[in-house]
Amino acid sequence: MRHRALFRLGLRGLLLHKLRSALSILGVVFGVAAVVAMSSVGEGARREALDQLGALGMDSVTLRARRPAAARSPGALRLRDAESLARVVPHVVATAPVREADLAAEAGSRRADAIAVGTTPDYVLATRLGIAAGRFLAPLDLRDEKRVAVLGASVAAALFPFGPACGERILLGGDWFQVVGVLQGRSSARGRASAIRTRDVNRAVFVPLPALDRGADPRPDGVDEIVMRVDDPTRVAAAAEAAKALVERTGGGAPFDVVVPREILRARERTQRIFNVVTGAIAAISLLVGGIGIMNIMLASVAERTREVGIRRALGATQRDVAAQFLAESSLLTTAGGLLGALLGAAGATLIQQLAGWPTALSPSMLTLALLTAIAVGVGFGSYPAWLAARLAPMEALRHE
Amino acid sequence: MPALVELRSVGKAYPRGAVEVTALREVSLSIMAGESVAVMGPSGSGKSTLLGILGCLDRPTRGEYLLDGREVSSLDDAELSALRNQRIGFVFQSFHLIPQLTVEENVETPLLYGRVPEREWRSRVHACLEKVGLDHRSSHRPPELSGGEAQRAAIARALVTEPQMLLADEPTGNLDSATGDEVADVLWGLHREGRTVVVVTHNEALAARAQRVVRLRDGRIA
Repeated sequence: MRHRALFRLGLRGLLLHKLRSALSILGVVFGVAAVVAMSSVGEGARREALDQLGALGMDSVTLRARRPAAARSPGALRLRDAESLARVVPHVVATAPVREADLAAEAGSRRADAIAVGTTPDYVLATRLGIAAGRFLAPLDLRDEKRVAVLGASVAAALFPFGPACGERILLGGDWFQVVGVLQGRSSARGRASAIRTRDVNRAVFVPLPALDRGADPRPDGVDEIVMRVDDPTRVAAAAEAAKALVERTGGGAPFDVVVPREILRARERTQRIFNVVTGAIAAISLLVGGIGIMNIMLASVAERTREVGIRRALGATQRDVAAQFLAESSLLTTAGGLLGALLGAAGATLIQQLAGWPTALSPSMLTLALLTAIAVGVGFGSYPAWLAARLAPMEALRHE
Repeated sequence: MPALVELRSVGKAYPRGAVEVTALREVSLSIMAGESVAVMGPSGSGKSTLLGILGCLDRPTRGEYLLDGREVSSLDDAELSALRNQRIGFVFQSFHLIPQLTVEENVETPLLYGRVPEREWRSRVHACLEKVGLDHRSSHRPPELSGGEAQRAAIARALVTEPQMLLADEPTGNLDSATGDEVADVLWGLHREGRTVVVVTHNEALAARAQRVVRLRDGRIA
């Protein structure tokens, strides 16, 4: 039979009982909607984590003091820890100690809230930041304790909106610094609080570590953070272990965290897998229920249209034609259910994003999969009723009241 | 000239639980192309069973059925369906139109299962409707038709694939005598045009207009 005719036949069968058809696909609609909504929440979380962790780099290890290295408390991390880490930990290619202070940066009449970051030239290697103009901090800046600064993209834009920042002078925490470079903007993780705190490099002003030390903080040896990069992402766990052991033995004794983006991502992926299994189980259950609904309605349809089957057989329909007609009907039903469910799920995801503030992302492959599954449910659960219809004996079907 | 229909000792038995019910025994019958035959007999004499076999809706359990020289019982479902579609037109007592389809769509239905190219469908459907005088009712649905109109629509549907043989099962059984006569006129008119017409009926007046009457009793030709 021609496909178009088949489609028309199927559609007609459904329109025969509009309300019944609509009700029968509810199971599939809600099943698909739930899966689409849940998976877009999952996908949103995954992408956010990837964004944040990707910004840190899969080959980086960061040691971070839990309390800020304040004047009176013994610092967890000290400058010499960074030096010994660079010497001792295998496969480390860059090590940069970091101190931070929230300071206002000024240039002329313009002002920007900035994070002053005191660090070493290795920082740019450890974090793979890109330079948009000028240069990053150089070893000589450090040795000579030069007052030079490298601006994050948004600080540069705020202070020098009309011209190049390089060569200009800024006032940072009461001291004058000369701008020697501007970093490329990096899209940073927005929005909700997460386990991984990432520095917004666009808001940062990088200065040589000793230059920041001369500020209000009298304790020159404490640092907030030590950022390291290893030569191979697969060695990152071993490097983290070694670094942790070393600092625990020789460091200041205060608590610190070891942040390994790669490990966090792996943990996330494990959670994601569990989430996926749960989503999949819900999908399977709801599609099973939806499919049973479809089968039920198709069985009713075959029963009340037995005579029609007999008539069509007398007019020359083969068993295949009859089966195809009922299969077209059931798969049209579930396709409609799948489409509606996908729409509803997408709407639900948007709602979740707006109400709960969770990031969501619709993945096209997920939508396709949901639709294909819906069609498969129609074919799968429609086969038995279609088979029953096809094997009706024509003479008896014709006599059926 | 070989017979269009050749039944040789055809028998048909149905399993009814543990026992077999024999509906037809040892029926031998030839119908020539272009002949008109009335099959008569009391209820339960096997008329419907015979019609089902003649129409390839059912296979005989014994004997041979040659339709246009081909042995039917060896054909598979697709081949039998194609035979019904192209060689045989059915007219039933209770019309058997599909209620949710319009008259036009009902008449078109056999074409869905045949090989006639789609562009010819419309003209064929309307030619057949015109022939039975129902062209003006083509977009109505069966419940809106009178009995006579419904049966004429069914005849148009039987004609749309231009079959060699029309099989009518009590075509006037559900009609009053006036409309019954009209329908009978249409049927016998089709015979005069050269089609083979087989009518199963209780109605002596209808049967009297056939060239030959075959009487069945207890599953045998009397």
